[in-house]
Amino acid sequence: MLMRALVLLLVLVVPASAATRLNVAIGADVNVVEVHKTLLGPGFKAQTPDVELNVVGTGTGEPASRAIYTKIRAQADAGRAPWDIDVALVSMAVASQMVKEGLLLRYVPRLKNAALVKGAEVKEAFGVNVDGYVVPMFQNQIAIAYNPARVAAPPKSFDELTKWVAANPGKFGYNGIKGGVSGVGFTMGWVYWKTGLYKQLTQGPFDRGREGAIREAITALRDFNRNVLITNGNAGTLDALNRGEIAMGVVWIDQLVAWKNEGRMDPSITPVLPAPGLPIYPLYLVVPREAASKDAAVRYIDYIATPEVQAKAIVERFGWYPGVDPDKVLPLISAKSRELLFKGVSAEDLARYSRQMPIKEYHDLIALAYEEIVR
Amino acid sequence: MVGVVFVWPLAVSVAASFTRAGAPTLGNYTTVWRLYLRDVGYTLAVSAAGTALTFALAIVVCGWLRVRAFAPVEFLLKVPLFVPFVVVGHALRVFLVPWAPALAGSWGGLVLALAWKHLGLAALLLVGAFRAVDESHLEAARNFGAGTARLTRDVLVPMSAPSLAVSAVLIFSSMLASFSIPLMMSRGGGAQMLMIDVYYRFGQHGDFETAAALGVVGYLMAMGAALVYLQRLAPVKRP
Repeated sequence: MLMRALVLLLVLVVPASAATRLNVAIGADVNVVEVHKTLLGPGFKAQTPDVELNVVGTGTGEPASRAIYTKIRAQADAGRAPWDIDVALVSMAVASQMVKEGLLLRYVPRLKNAALVKGAEVKEAFGVNVDGYVVPMFQNQIAIAYNPARVAAPPKSFDELTKWVAANPGKFGYNGIKGGVSGVGFTMGWVYWKTGLYKQLTQGPFDRGREGAIREAITALRDFNRNVLITNGNAGTLDALNRGEIAMGVVWIDQLVAWKNEGRMDPSITPVLPAPGLPIYPLYLVVPREAASKDAAVRYIDYIATPEVQAKAIVERFGWYPGVDPDKVLPLISAKSRELLFKGVSAEDLARYSRQMPIKEYHDLIALAYEEIVR
Repeated sequence: MVGVVFVWPLAVSVAASFTRAGAPTLGNYTTVWRLYLRDVGYTLAVSAAGTALTFALAIVVCGWLRVRAFAPVEFLLKVPLFVPFVVVGHALRVFLVPWAPALAGSWGGLVLALAWKHLGLAALLLVGAFRAVDESHLEAARNFGAGTARLTRDVLVPMSAPSLAVSAVLIFSSMLASFSIPLMMSRGGGAQMLMIDVYYRFGQHGDFETAAALGVVGYLMAMGAALVYLQRLAPVKRP
């Protein structure tokens, strides 16, 4: 009882300062947390001195977003308002679930930069209409990275990739579906290629009659995997590439660029996006429905969506693709950053081969088929 | 107090394993049966092999330490007690990858890492148990010409059997529940330790119910080990 009283006292005392406290929960790696703490936060504070940012990271991968969801869901279930997260950065899967469950505020129309928030992924995610609820902080593309010294002609299509893997057993790697989203994305790309059902799987409606085609595609993936090295995660694939254990692997482009920038990666490793493409997976900035500081939250996201901020902090500094309208952001970046960003995967490749994730029912069906068939 | 901190959460998670979207069902256990039966077997096999390897090493070294006390070796043996699980997983992986990449990601590598980590606990328990054996028994055996190996096999181990059984159950249960080492060591495919599956169901799918069912299977496995031990301890009725 005494503990509870002390906690309550603390909660009451902290917001008593003059500044508005903005609690920002980041469901992503430490580098994303650092951007908010050292770049976006101070930049925003220079414009809005009355807001104090409190940035918290919740871990990496899908579980990090899941932790944010669990907290907000618990607060909603407890029926107490306001909730203590004002801005959250969550995955596509979790954001779509939160929209579906009515946990988010439809804030995008209130942004000055609302017109820059465009693209298929801000309208629909996993079959849920997310229009108005989400702003991608950045876009992240899954691609195939290769070592030019060992791969003379990088595969331009999945067809070429399967031939190369058959001729070079054990030299291609990815992380399956249990080791991170890049492996999940590769699996989805494989199913799109094998079934030719990209439009149906991403736009719905769900039709169980497609299960046969999906299972057939996954059976082919099981055979393909016999010549593949299954790594223990996104970083594991990059590590195996760097050590020369594999010559080609499925990676996140941002992680590849970041490792190269930090000098941890062979600079010659180059990404390629084979036809018919691989998924792009944005992280969304969202505002919980009962956030205590909604106005400050909206202003902070508006600041992040500004083309200048996107160009300097998101693209140039970290090698991510812009979260908002690239036509407004890319003219603002330097020639060197442009070269680094589009080396191997050009803007045209992205336009042609960036794929969406399937709707949730198909996503779960594919994951289940993978667990049952590939194992 | 025990009810609030232990029984209540346990009951909630067991109850969750029998529901889906609020409705009672056995569906979560069907999912475990269909998708994770192999992993249950794998987890039992890895834990059994890990426990066996730990004891194979610990009995020899602790027997030697009991017969000829040597403090620096005893200290070194207990070092793994203070090394975090994640660090052990990472270190073994870094150590194995350059010269045995296949072993690093295999069940053998996992057994090695689990045994390394649990050697400290085994040493702590075994050295204590062996020291509890009265010196007069050892001297009597020595008088008949028994060496260190013989003393360990024929005197120390049989006389410490109950303590060895307790240690085995503790170590086996700890290996069943291991998460960090399998996470650091494993590949993204093939059979997985059960706790990795719990994390996957919850983390990737937000599927608390199947995760809870896997947890219940984990409790049952650990309880099975404990029951075997209790049965062995039950007083034998003599006519």
